Amino acid sequence: MHLLRYIGRRILFVIPQLFGIILVSFFLVKLIPGDPAVMMLGPTASEESLHDLRDKMGFTKPLISQFVRYLHDVVRGDLGTSWQTTQPVTEDLFQRFPATLELITFGLLLAIAIGFPLGIAAARLKRGPVRKFADYYGLLAGAMPDFWLALVLIYVFYTKLNWIPAPLGRIDMAVVPPPTVTGSLVIDSLLAGDLDALSSSFGHLILPVLTLGLINAGPILKMTQSTVERTLASDFVRYAEMCGLPRRVVLRQAIRAALPSIVTIVSVLYGFLIGGAVLVEIVFSWGGAGQYAVQGVLNADVNPVLGFVVFSAVLSLIIYLLVDLLYFALDPRMRG
Amino acid sequence: MAGATMAAAAGAPAAAPGPPWRQRLRFFAAVLRARPAFALGYAIVALVVATGVLAPLIVPYGPMVADPNVYLLPPSWQHLLGTDGTGMDIFSRVLAAPRVDLTIAMLGTLVSAALGATIGAIVGYYEGQRTWRTALSTFVMRAADVLQAFPVFVFAIALVAVFGQSVRSIVIAIAFVNTPIYLRLMRGQVLSIRRLRYVEAAYVAGASDVAILLRHVIPNAIAPVLAQLSVNVGWSVLLTAGLSFVGAGVVAPTPEWGSMIAMGFQNVVTGQWWPSVFPGIALGLTVFGFALVGASIEVLADPAQRRVLSGSLR
Amino acid sequence: MTTKPIGGQVHRRDVLKAGAAAAAGAMVPASLGMPEAQAATSSTLVVAAPATPQSLDSNFDVSLGTFEAVAALYDNLLEFAKIPDPKVPGAFREDIADHPDKPAGLAVQGKLAESFELDPNGKWIRFQLRKGVKSNWGNELTADDVKWTWDRKFGLKAIGGFYLSTLGLENPEGVKVEGPYTVSITLDNPNPLLAKLQPNLYAPIFDSKKCKEVATADDPWARKFMDNNSAGFGPYRLDQLQRGQQAVFKARPDYYLGKPAMETVIFREVPTSATRAALLQGGAVDVAQYLQPLEIIKLRSLPGVAVDSVASSFMIWLELNSKIEPFDNVKVRQAMNFAFPQEQVLKTVFQGLAEPLTGCMPNIYAGFTEKFWKYKYDPEMAKALLKEAGMASGFKTSLAYNAGDPVQEPIAILYQTALREIGVELQLKKIPAATFYNAVSERKQPMIFYVDSPWCPDIGYSMTLYFNSGSFIDYSNYKNDEVDKLLKDTARTADENARVEMMTKAQEIVMSEAPWVFIAFPGYHFARRADLKGFTYYTSNNIRFQDFSRSA
Repeated sequence: MHLLRYIGRRILFVIPQLFGIILVSFFLVKLIPGDPAVMMLGPTASEESLHDLRDKMGFTKPLISQFVRYLHDVVRGDLGTSWQTTQPVTEDLFQRFPATLELITFGLLLAIAIGFPLGIAAARLKRGPVRKFADYYGLLAGAMPDFWLALVLIYVFYTKLNWIPAPLGRIDMAVVPPPTVTGSLVIDSLLAGDLDALSSSFGHLILPVLTLGLINAGPILKMTQSTVERTLASDFVRYAEMCGLPRRVVLRQAIRAALPSIVTIVSVLYGFLIGGAVLVEIVFSWGGAGQYAVQGVLNADVNPVLGFVVFSAVLSLIIYLLVDLLYFALDPRMRG
Repeated sequence: MAGATMAAAAGAPAAAPGPPWRQRLRFFAAVLRARPAFALGYAIVALVVATGVLAPLIVPYGPMVADPNVYLLPPSWQHLLGTDGTGMDIFSRVLAAPRVDLTIAMLGTLVSAALGATIGAIVGYYEGQRTWRTALSTFVMRAADVLQAFPVFVFAIALVAVFGQSVRSIVIAIAFVNTPIYLRLMRGQVLSIRRLRYVEAAYVAGASDVAILLRHVIPNAIAPVLAQLSVNVGWSVLLTAGLSFVGAGVVAPTPEWGSMIAMGFQNVVTGQWWPSVFPGIALGLTVFGFALVGASIEVLADPAQRRVLSGSLR
Repeated sequence: MTTKPIGGQVHRRDVLKAGAAAAAGAMVPASLGMPEAQAATSSTLVVAAPATPQSLDSNFDVSLGTFEAVAALYDNLLEFAKIPDPKVPGAFREDIADHPDKPAGLAVQGKLAESFELDPNGKWIRFQLRKGVKSNWGNELTADDVKWTWDRKFGLKAIGGFYLSTLGLENPEGVKVEGPYTVSITLDNPNPLLAKLQPNLYAPIFDSKKCKEVATADDPWARKFMDNNSAGFGPYRLDQLQRGQQAVFKARPDYYLGKPAMETVIFREVPTSATRAALLQGGAVDVAQYLQPLEIIKLRSLPGVAVDSVASSFMIWLELNSKIEPFDNVKVRQAMNFAFPQEQVLKTVFQGLAEPLTGCMPNIYAGFTEKFWKYKYDPEMAKALLKEAGMASGFKTSLAYNAGDPVQEPIAILYQTALREIGVELQLKKIPAATFYNAVSERKQPMIFYVDSPWCPDIGYSMTLYFNSGSFIDYSNYKNDEVDKLLKDTARTADENARVEMMTKAQEIVMSEAPWVFIAFPGYHFARRADLKGFTYYTSNNIRFQDFSRSA
């Protein structure tokens, strides 16, 4: 019950935060220059029909009332329509968010798979080639521009080596996608037992995941290394060593103690990547949500941007809540 | 590596007497020797900054001069890194870019650091006290939460879209996005420092809040902020490049690494890889250098790390 | 590339998707032998396009994808006869030349109309409609459909309104139903375009019976229906439309001219040109639209792929806003032209695939002349002109370009360097694709790019669009009373010789007043699989799926 109350309280806090987010983004996005009415009706539209459209879309009312109307819609689940796709933003986002989530989930999994063990190895070894490599890699990885790395990978693995299919979208044009269960093409193909779709979607997933994984492994590595290092130097580890516990057991204890910080950084990265993977999405024509939002901003399409901000904020907050719950599980001190 | 350690031990700072700054310098040098990676970082940063300053003197061609006669040439002796799709020399542009990138990144970072650290220090200092100040602190922190919950990249693009494409808007975008980081950092530091005895002593002795903040709290809290600064500059360069890549960054044809990568993308398709690859390498190396410098500051300033490091120095 | 206008109207969100995405530049190396899934069967046509259609309603939408859709779903009363293309064997084009011996002086023939009669003075036209022509909803074509179509133009204005004013048709009574299959249009004043406008892509005939069925009190002209569906007499029907992804068209077996060879057409949205090129090369698509010059050149050398480069009605130029200093001074405008490195731009940016813009209208339209072109690159001349204009020390100004059109930025950069030589400092302004058109029509920029093509192959029409001071498309704010008068007179007579004479004079004036910086005729480059035949060039710069078939 303690847990439920905690969750309940957190959710309660979320509401004013969400409100703040919507408030700031609404007014910010409204400031972006560009008149959608002209863009929707075209050059030959009469001043009258333009005005009619603006009226209908509510642009002629004062900003405050527009904001209230928007809030009202959001609460009912209506995020408006994108004038670019002519679809409701909610629908657009439901199509695109799974793409983004699939990408960053697999990307971060790869990043953890690379960064975590390397970080531990680096923390244990004070010197040697592994340590040196980890030191450099940790910083270099985070320094590389992700869109540039994507380009290089495409050039190497597609242009020169021909190992993977053309980087366009998530799956071959001619292959029928599997029925949607989780939204992840790879998982859904597995579930449906559709080998064609599986190999195609996997092939398309490799490079973007590799890009994100290689780059984000850096911060994870560094965080793991420094936390484990600090833990290994701390008192309770010294004590365990003095007690004669085998190295491996000590290490495991140290890692356990270091987990919360690692979980923190993974969650921070995850939250960041929801909007931060957009460049990779663009390079690979991934059709993700970040790409959608960026196109919205650049083309003065207000609703997609706001919808995306709301969605990603909610997602981030959920992630942070989950992370804190994970803390409870990991760190006995917090359970008290 | 063993040889280096011995040499470091031979020059171990603990033994040598002399003025405090000398000691610090010796320790600094020892650290650099023990961790050559840091030395590399400083070297890179120095190189990049020097390039930024000296660029107009050393570029072989005008970085914004489009000469259609040398359109899309691969690297050669006349054009060390080749030319791009409008005949501009890539080497000159790669050299000229730090001026723009670093200016934007440093300005933006400094503004956000100054703003964030100041607010953070004030918030941290006054938090928990039973006055309206606490309410204000809470409000500021919640506002920072909201700001940080924004998808960073989309937020930055939106800011540039609102303020128009210019160096000023990118600086504003960077400042906005980074201020909460410094705010939190400083606040956390101040929260722990203000409990320390000497702060209490100053308070009891009757020093004003401002004096305490300025003379005792902030100087001791500054170290992680400094480390963050360097890392942040690197990260801001990446953000600027990303913004330019989607077309919301600097105005063409200003030499800027991200914008160069964007301009060259189409050419990679048709086989000319050099307009995009070289700026990317330069960009990555620069950010790497700043990250290393930041890591070194962290090590130098943090007593716990210093202990660990001293262990490896002996 | 960008815009496709209707007789001059231009893009608004034309390169919408291509815009933002292309600006960011997704990339796919084209040099691969990796075969993608083959295009399904020989009677399926797969097209990689920059964008899917937005609205299917030709009264409102001028986006890229809509053009191809309208061409497949709808038919016109008249069409131009087809002739083989002089430059490309195997390709065809519309015969838009003057034929004084033919009725209306043009090689138009009946499409939905079996025959037509044209008043030699150009005041009225009468159509005898074909009998037994069915729409995709099974309704037969009658004169009522024609009347309703024109009434809709009056009712909704917008693009339809443009046609009305071009013809000088003041009220709906001018369109008369004279019999179940006979309909006539009568104007108050003679107009040379009465027949010429009929084949225009955006003047098709709607199935009024179906439209009336789906109309409501709020929506008497079936706007909502027409956005997402079609009701017309064209060779295809719409099977599905997923905006942002693809549109699928199916051939109509009951099409009055016989079922088209391509049974199914898949029109896929692929925002980046590099990806479209790669898909074409790998065989996953049959047609890759709107590629860049370097991509075209690369494709030409590959087996299995062909590129048909034909002369087109496209022009690309810079508007010099004559309401903004210093472009109110004709000498300055001329100087800007002399300082433009046209030849180099054509060689590098266009890779030799474009022709120099040596006039102010498409060079494929009768009446075009390049004898008034004098702006060969001459920076000395430019400097001298600036001195005469009192600007010997140069000046500062800005040039806005479309982020979504990949040729514009390099041209702008090259021009910037060239202008430094004459002391002009040019600041570049990048505008995202979807808002670019607004920037053009607002007329607040001193210099801005423009890509356009007048669809109607008529000298008076083309000139009026850009140089009539009252024209919506006169984005350079050009105003010359003599030209206005010439244009007005040209629109009022059907005497071709007189018109050509007047318009030659108009071209002379316009060319010497240089309201534009003249860049290029980019041409139309059709990239296709080698086994695809039937490509026909239309002045509206779109393809019609019904033309295509595969060689055995």
